[in-house]
Amino acid sequence: MHPFALLRAHDATAAIAAHAQDPELAFIAGGTDLLGLIKDRATLPARLLDINGLPDMARIDARPEGGLSIGALARMSDVAVHPEVRKRFPVITEALLFSASGQLRNMASIGGNIMQRTRCAYFRDEDDLPCNKRRPGSGCAARHGLNRNHAIFGWSDVCVATNPSDLAVALAALDAHVIVRGASGERSIPFSEFHRLPGTTPATETVLKRGELIVAIEVPPSPEGRASHYLKLRDRQSYEFALVSAAAAVAVDGRRLRSVRLALGGVAPKPWRLTAAEAALSGVSLDDPGALARAIAASFGDARPLAHNAFKIELAQRVALRALQIAGERA
Amino acid sequence: MNAVGQPLSRAEGRLKVSGRASYTADRRFSGAAHAVIVHSPIANGRILSIDTSAAENACALAVFTHLNLPRMNPTPKPWSHLRPHGQGHLPLQDDSIYYAGQPVALVVAATRDQAAHAGTLIQVEYEESPPIVFGRDTAKAAIDPPQFLWPVASAVGDAERGIAAGAVRIEQTYSIADRHHNQMEPHATTAMWDADGSLTLYETTQHLYGTRELISIVLGIPAEKITVICEYLGGGFGGKAYVWPHTLLASLAAKLLNRPVHLQLTRAQMYAMVGHQAATIQTIALGADKSGKLTGIRHDSISPSSMFDNYIEYAALSTRSLWSASGGIATNHKIVHVHRNTPTAMRSPHEALGHWALEGAMDELAYAAGIDPVELRLRNDTEIDPHSGRPFSTRAMRRCLIEGAARFGWEKRSPEPRSMREGGYLIGQGMASAIYTHWRWPAKARVTLDRDGSALVEIGTHELGTGTYTVLRQVAADALGVAPERVTVRLGDTRLPPSHASIGSATMANAGASVMLAAKAARDKAIELALTGRDAPFAGTKADDIYVGDGMLRLAQRNVGVTYAELLTRNGLPHLIGDGNYDPVPEAEGPKAVFSFSAVYAEVRVDPELGLVRLRRFVGAYDAGRIINPKTARSQAIGGIIWGVGQALLEQSETDPALGRFLNRNYSGYLVPSNADIPDLDVHFVGDFDADASPLGAKGLGELTAVSVAPAIANAVYHATGKRVRDLPITVEKVM
Repeated sequence: MHPFALLRAHDATAAIAAHAQDPELAFIAGGTDLLGLIKDRATLPARLLDINGLPDMARIDARPEGGLSIGALARMSDVAVHPEVRKRFPVITEALLFSASGQLRNMASIGGNIMQRTRCAYFRDEDDLPCNKRRPGSGCAARHGLNRNHAIFGWSDVCVATNPSDLAVALAALDAHVIVRGASGERSIPFSEFHRLPGTTPATETVLKRGELIVAIEVPPSPEGRASHYLKLRDRQSYEFALVSAAAAVAVDGRRLRSVRLALGGVAPKPWRLTAAEAALSGVSLDDPGALARAIAASFGDARPLAHNAFKIELAQRVALRALQIAGERA
Repeated sequence: MNAVGQPLSRAEGRLKVSGRASYTADRRFSGAAHAVIVHSPIANGRILSIDTSAAENACALAVFTHLNLPRMNPTPKPWSHLRPHGQGHLPLQDDSIYYAGQPVALVVAATRDQAAHAGTLIQVEYEESPPIVFGRDTAKAAIDPPQFLWPVASAVGDAERGIAAGAVRIEQTYSIADRHHNQMEPHATTAMWDADGSLTLYETTQHLYGTRELISIVLGIPAEKITVICEYLGGGFGGKAYVWPHTLLASLAAKLLNRPVHLQLTRAQMYAMVGHQAATIQTIALGADKSGKLTGIRHDSISPSSMFDNYIEYAALSTRSLWSASGGIATNHKIVHVHRNTPTAMRSPHEALGHWALEGAMDELAYAAGIDPVELRLRNDTEIDPHSGRPFSTRAMRRCLIEGAARFGWEKRSPEPRSMREGGYLIGQGMASAIYTHWRWPAKARVTLDRDGSALVEIGTHELGTGTYTVLRQVAADALGVAPERVTVRLGDTRLPPSHASIGSATMANAGASVMLAAKAARDKAIELALTGRDAPFAGTKADDIYVGDGMLRLAQRNVGVTYAELLTRNGLPHLIGDGNYDPVPEAEGPKAVFSFSAVYAEVRVDPELGLVRLRRFVGAYDAGRIINPKTARSQAIGGIIWGVGQALLEQSETDPALGRFLNRNYSGYLVPSNADIPDLDVHFVGDFDADASPLGAKGLGELTAVSVAPAIANAVYHATGKRVRDLPITVEKVM
């Protein structure tokens, strides 16, 4: 086991300052991903700063106007079963409950969830394999290796990994914001801008800067929230990451879609919002699956398969369609 | 009331669920050091240099490499179950690298974490060459291997002519991915030496005596100076039946450092250092007349082995004996040497691979000939083993087929593919049959009948999680005529009477038989005392007139009895000892062919758009002879079915083609079924007492139940979708 020092934070300002000046320090909350990464030697921080004791960061606030504020230290299981979350945004509850296992959800924090790192087997191997995320410049073994579980959108020759978070897909679809605190105060990052594409620097996965701490997720009120669904397709029925998943939320006029929010998981380095499809779906009848499918296809023109995942291009469209139909039945 | 046949709960159940059962890695010894293996990330090449100075300067007590570890003796040839190495290549003997995960250094430190950390500080420089990996391309260069367990090829009659003469013919290629055992308990060893040069090994093993023999040969220690202990095993599945490099390394390190050394593999190392089930590419050809009677069968299989061993997956083995074919049956096996460690037996070696092709092809034949799959099998059932020409001892295949079908409701199935639906889902029903090899092996046991009326069973067999403590207690209880709770079972130690490896579903029939013989020997001594001892209660009568029960000897004609306790007290004896020596002729040399049988039925629900296959129902009907404990037997069966569901739908160890290594070396990347994947499983036993199998009448069960689950599910997927998947596992992209 990699040796590290464990420190405890009691005050957010001090924690942020410590993080800012120490490139070898990592925040730890639930630790459900970080400790595994350390054991696999995918990341080797010298110091872990335990932020579980920071005050007022585990609250789940149902805002009167219909939105949510979820503290970064709220546990996945608490958010999942919160009655207002369940009522206003079933897509969030479902994304959480289809994640991990009961034990892990009891430990894992919301902030950590959206920071979890790829499940790429090369990245997580006990040995040091060619991986530009893990050791920049070492290459990407997955690019021409085994890449069934890898991306069809947004990848580069330097990295083809996908983002594993289910919750992030739902939050992307809902246009959530990540509230981040740094030395100079708070900023609010639109969810679709929080994760970045790999380009030539895949080790940098988010726009967070050193010395910034996620304090909350803000989910704005949305007329589509109640009629939403998270569909997770996976090889195993439980305790498994998505092969392909979709978050769908809709508002309707009768049987016609008025507005649609649609994002995919398991297909890209970040939650993949289908903006072209969303536009094309507007006005389409839920009773016309052919038209729904054609509208969804509008977002797949730039899909690029790897050697072992071409099936995902078709599968992802079918998953998106099914999620949309189920959300539609809830409208 | 007889104990045998009762669904008794596990004798050690409370210990296990309360965490008090002591598994190998749970044991702590004062002064023990911890060893960690540093392994090669490359699959083919040579070590150019190793720098261990940083590790030694950090916290390592010692670092061993090929430069300073003493040489070992070569593994014995030919390979034998009695002195079994996992692989012929021995660790840290020279600078060659033949597989990714090969040990290159052993680091010993005061704690496991320190050893692991020091291991990361070792710098190894390699000269790397491209690895050969197994696949359809390299399979073309497969070679004929020397014989390993059974003859490599077989031919009865003229299979080709038989196939050609068939009115219906099927010829297809079926394949299965590499798989790993994934026992919950990682392999672990604690080795300690006494001043007199004797070695004690606490070892995760399902083969105590084989471990002792192999260690004796390779390390050059007299076998009688070695003790191997394993009281509980957290899963074996064949992967702990033979000796792998870590055991040798821990033993040597303990000797060189003169202190106990504990070594536990990491989860990832379990995918690289201790064997696996080799992938197979199988070609099967069937010919049949219009009525579905087979006229010929040909079954060939190609599988990988390591660069240094000739391990064979005998995938076509069962095809020699499952169905009769009027023209003939031909089988053959080839192997390819690739850069990996040596494959090994994994539940259910040979059989669970070959049935995939044979029982898939039988379903294809049923559709091609327009015959119901159950009816097709009934028509090809046989009372004579086609391979050996011997009659089967017992073969309840017909009952398996008919009673299994009845429990499943097979008659309600509409045969057309895609004809059964439920909402947007397609429903499919499929079935398959199976035959499983029976092993007759020698075993010894000792039963001590104490003056307090209790009994102690001692035998060097294993508790793999299957219920050995419980079933041996039941066998001894009946032979002695005492209540099962009065019987204590000790096992898992080479100081006990020697038994065979707990593999091949052989423990009940063989180790169990020796316990029965030992218990009867102890009982007979008591009877002798009752006839001729001091104040002999039954003097003047005959042994045949005496029966046992409720801890007493009784005379059949008269209502008189004497307890064991009284009898021993009267004779001033602290105990009576019975020795059991079960020494059967090997199955192949007997007059009857002994096998277990099954017919299994699966129902799947397929989401045709998303390609999702979910098992909905499963019925298994098994002929495993007499069932000693229906509860532990059912547990074995549901475990076997779930094992088969993993093979069918989830499990694959993929090899990176460039790196030549198994990827996904953990429970997150290598998928085994979760509870959510498993529906109600209906287990049904149809077998009868089989005297040729064992004096207990029992045949092998555990491995049988993992066989043919995959073809039953795949046949159900075909019935649901019209898609014939011939490559395992059945993942969404093959179905959508």
